[in-house]
Amino acid sequence: MKTIEGFVLRPLGEEYIVIGEGIAQVDFNRMISMNSSAAYLWSKVEGKEFTVEDLKDLLLEEYEVDPDTAAADAAAVAAKWVEAGIVSE
Amino acid sequence: MVARRKYCVAGHTFSLLADEEAMKRLKLDNYAPFVTEDGDDIFIVELVGSFETSGREKLYVSPAESGEQRIDLYSIDGGYLFEMAPEGNLPVTAWLKCDPSFTSAQLRTVGKFRNFAVNNAMMLMYAFRTAKSGTLEMHASVTVKDGKGYLFLARSGTGKSTHSRMWLENIPGTHLLNDDNPVVRFINGKTIVYGTPWSGKTPCYRNEEYPVGAFVRINRAPRNSISRMSLPEAFASVSSSSSGLRAIKGMGDGLFDTISRIVQDVPCYLLDCLPDREAALVCCSKVTEGNG
Repeated sequence: MKTIEGFVLRPLGEEYIVIGEGIAQVDFNRMISMNSSAAYLWSKVEGKEFTVEDLKDLLLEEYEVDPDTAAADAAAVAAKWVEAGIVSE
Repeated sequence: MVARRKYCVAGHTFSLLADEEAMKRLKLDNYAPFVTEDGDDIFIVELVGSFETSGREKLYVSPAESGEQRIDLYSIDGGYLFEMAPEGNLPVTAWLKCDPSFTSAQLRTVGKFRNFAVNNAMMLMYAFRTAKSGTLEMHASVTVKDGKGYLFLARSGTGKSTHSRMWLENIPGTHLLNDDNPVVRFINGKTIVYGTPWSGKTPCYRNEEYPVGAFVRINRAPRNSISRMSLPEAFASVSSSSSGLRAIKGMGDGLFDTISRIVQDVPCYLLDCLPDREAALVCCSKVTEGNG
C-alpha cells in the first residue's frame, strides 16, 4: 500500500492529525486523528510503498512489544488508514 | 484618470483601482465603513478592460452546482488566474489574474455581475494574501453578546443565519456582526472576530471587533442539544469553514498554524438543533457558561 499524495501529518495539542492539503483533496476534506505511535508510523512511510509487515517491523524497532501485538496493531492501523481514505491498497 | 479606494478590514489595508468612470458605476456601499486614508496596502486589485489568458494551466475546477457560485483556478505566468461564474451552470463573467504572492491583481469583468466580481476578487485576494499572517476569512454568521462574538458555522443552506436570527429575536443584548464572511485573527495570544464588507445576502457591514466566545457548528436535528467538540473535531470544523487553498505553497502551513492556535484558545461546540427559539436558548446558555 501507499500513502495518498497530499495528506500531511500535523501535531495538534498532544495528538496528531493527518489532513488532506493537496489539490485533489479540495472537495473531499478528509482528516484523521492519530496517537503518537500511529503518527510515528505515518512519518516513516509517508510518500512510500509499504506493507503491514513493514509497519510491524517499525513498531518492533521503536517500542517494547511482542511480535504478535505489533502484528495486530500494524494490521489495525493499516485497516484504519485504508478506511479513512488516506492510503491506497 | 485612475481612481483609488483604500480600505482597512481587520487591520489589513488594501486598495481597489479603476478608471474614474468605471469606479462610479460600482456599488461599493458595503465598503463605506472600512474606508481609510493611510496604511500600506497588502494587496491592490485593479479593474481593467482586458488581459491575456492564453497559456493558463488548470489547477482546480470547482463542481458545477446550480445555485452555487463557481471559482476555477489556473496557473499562468508564474502566478494565478481565477475564473468566476455567479452560478455553477452560468458562463464565466470575471477573470482575476494575480502574482504568486497575492499582492497585486488585475480584474476583468463582463456583463451585469460587476459587483459580484469585485467582491469575490477582494475576498479571494484578502483570504489568500493573509493566510500566512494569522488571519482566517471564514464562512460563518456572527452574533455578539456581552462583548463576545459567537460564530455559527454550517454548510450553505443549513441555517447559520436562521440561528443568528433566533438569538437576535429571543436573547436580549445581542446584535449581528456579520452574516456570511467574517475575518478571525489570532493576535497577541487572543482570538478576535472582525466585521467585513462581505456579508452574503444580509446587508450587515460593521467595522467592529470582538474577542471570540465560541465556535458553534450547526447541525439540523429533530431536537436541540449541544456538546463540546474534541480538539481534532474542532480543528476539522473550523478548517472546513475557512477560505484558502492548502495546496498553494506556504498557505497550508499558515492556515494550520492559525487554526490550531485558535481551536486550542476558544471552545468549539456541536449544536444539533431545530430552527427555533429553544435552540438559541440552549446554545446561548451553554456557550456563555462561566462568563459571569
